[in-house]
Amino acid sequence: MAWSERLRRRAPGLLWAPGFLVLWEAIVRLLEVPLYIVPPPSAVLWQLWRNLPRIAHYTLVTGGETLGGFLIAVAAGVPLALAVAFSPFLRQTFYPAAVTLEMVPKIAFAPLFVTWFGFGYLPKLIIVFLVCFFPILLNGILAFSSLPLELRRLCASTGATALRMFWHVRLPAALPQLFVGFKGAAVNATVGATIAEWIGGDAGLGYYIQIATGDLRMDLAFAIIMVLALLGLALFGAVALVERLLLPWHVSQRLPPTTA
Amino acid sequence: MSVAVEVRGAAKTFPASPAPVHAFGPLDLDVAAGSFVAIVGPSGCGKSTLLLMIAGLLDGSAGEIRVGGRPVRGPLTEIGIVFQSHVLVDWRDVLGNVLLQADLRGIPRAALEPRARELLRSVGLDGFATRRPYELSGGMQQRTAFCRALVHDPPLVLMDEPLGALDAMTREQLRSDLERLWMRTGKTVILVTHGIEEAVQLADRVVVISPRPGRIVREIEVPLPRPRTLEVCEQAEFHALVGEIRRLFASYGVV
Repeated sequence: MAWSERLRRRAPGLLWAPGFLVLWEAIVRLLEVPLYIVPPPSAVLWQLWRNLPRIAHYTLVTGGETLGGFLIAVAAGVPLALAVAFSPFLRQTFYPAAVTLEMVPKIAFAPLFVTWFGFGYLPKLIIVFLVCFFPILLNGILAFSSLPLELRRLCASTGATALRMFWHVRLPAALPQLFVGFKGAAVNATVGATIAEWIGGDAGLGYYIQIATGDLRMDLAFAIIMVLALLGLALFGAVALVERLLLPWHVSQRLPPTTA
Repeated sequence: MSVAVEVRGAAKTFPASPAPVHAFGPLDLDVAAGSFVAIVGPSGCGKSTLLLMIAGLLDGSAGEIRVGGRPVRGPLTEIGIVFQSHVLVDWRDVLGNVLLQADLRGIPRAALEPRARELLRSVGLDGFATRRPYELSGGMQQRTAFCRALVHDPPLVLMDEPLGALDAMTREQLRSDLERLWMRTGKTVILVTHGIEEAVQLADRVVVISPRPGRIVREIEVPLPRPRTLEVCEQAEFHALVGEIRRLFASYGVV
């Protein structure tokens, strides 16, 4: 495909965002909307530039909590999902307990964690872990318990050990559904970190946004929101990239992209 | 010729509500080593269940099954199995799917690869070794499954409706592929099918099972010459055998 053709196809995806910003700027200026209600994009970018060192520092804090909690949830969720999928005992004990925990809004725990663990890194890590853990566990159980019967029978007729069967069949077969959980968790992770910082933090983008809105500095608040969106996109994008590299064979990856 | 598979008084009843379902049996069956036996019967007569019991993948309710002189207790590993669906895995290419046998059995791939490539060549898939299953037609997928069932050189091959999911024209092609593979490798084959012509074209002996509860109502030798080409299948004798089986099923109200 010629690059001009490619550009023409991608034009809607490339142009909608700048177009939207120009429209936003124009409306805010024409209607003379006050800065503390809705700031124009130019003011937001200016605030981003002016506070860049602090925003960069807090991005590392929030990003660390997000990534750390997410990775711990993956490391704990996948083996536990495997255990629940194959243990009727855990299915009757651990699984209902996990569902019950999921029904409780995790954010409700945040003040408790602040009391127990202080304002630092640990309570945020726990909140992020909690909001990531359940989608990974639930999808993991589904992933490890949906191997087709005929494939299981085929494996049985080879006399394969449980380990060989896991490595060559169960794990690759489970990966697509596991990634559904990872992606859901990635979406939750930044939300969890931000709100946890909001409720009781002394650093991070969630903490900073609270200060900015408290001072009615909406231009700064929007700048932080923009960085949070980019942070969330980065984690989601990283997970999607790993999925693409690991599962080029999967139906979802075979389809030509419909947008972008 | 020695007996490869002996079935004695085998029966299967599935627990169900309100009353247990008596699937088949008791029935007796002998399969000679190196022969091709087709078990043909209507849907639900227990023929697939019997095949799974021979493979040791399902416990029977009564009777005994011996394979190679040894009673079947648990899954047999010296067999090849083909199911109605190809059960190929999308994360491996065609050769990789055939060599799944090696990986699951803990045999070095190199030991089975020459045979895997030869089998793929014999069914016309030598140019497709690096293709993924989803890039193949239904017939090619099932041919790959045949190769996977034969690559570890098992003496016994069990096939459960292997052509059942294919269109009519592909089915005809794969019948001759199957016969050629069998003639080349000399395996004992048990084929479960509801296709009467398929059974007569492929088998040395056709075992006819009644509707549930399944019982053997007739065993028919097929003395037609091999390979069973189109010309052979147009002979009056072929049609007479097919007609005989069809009339049997008609007498049970099946066709």
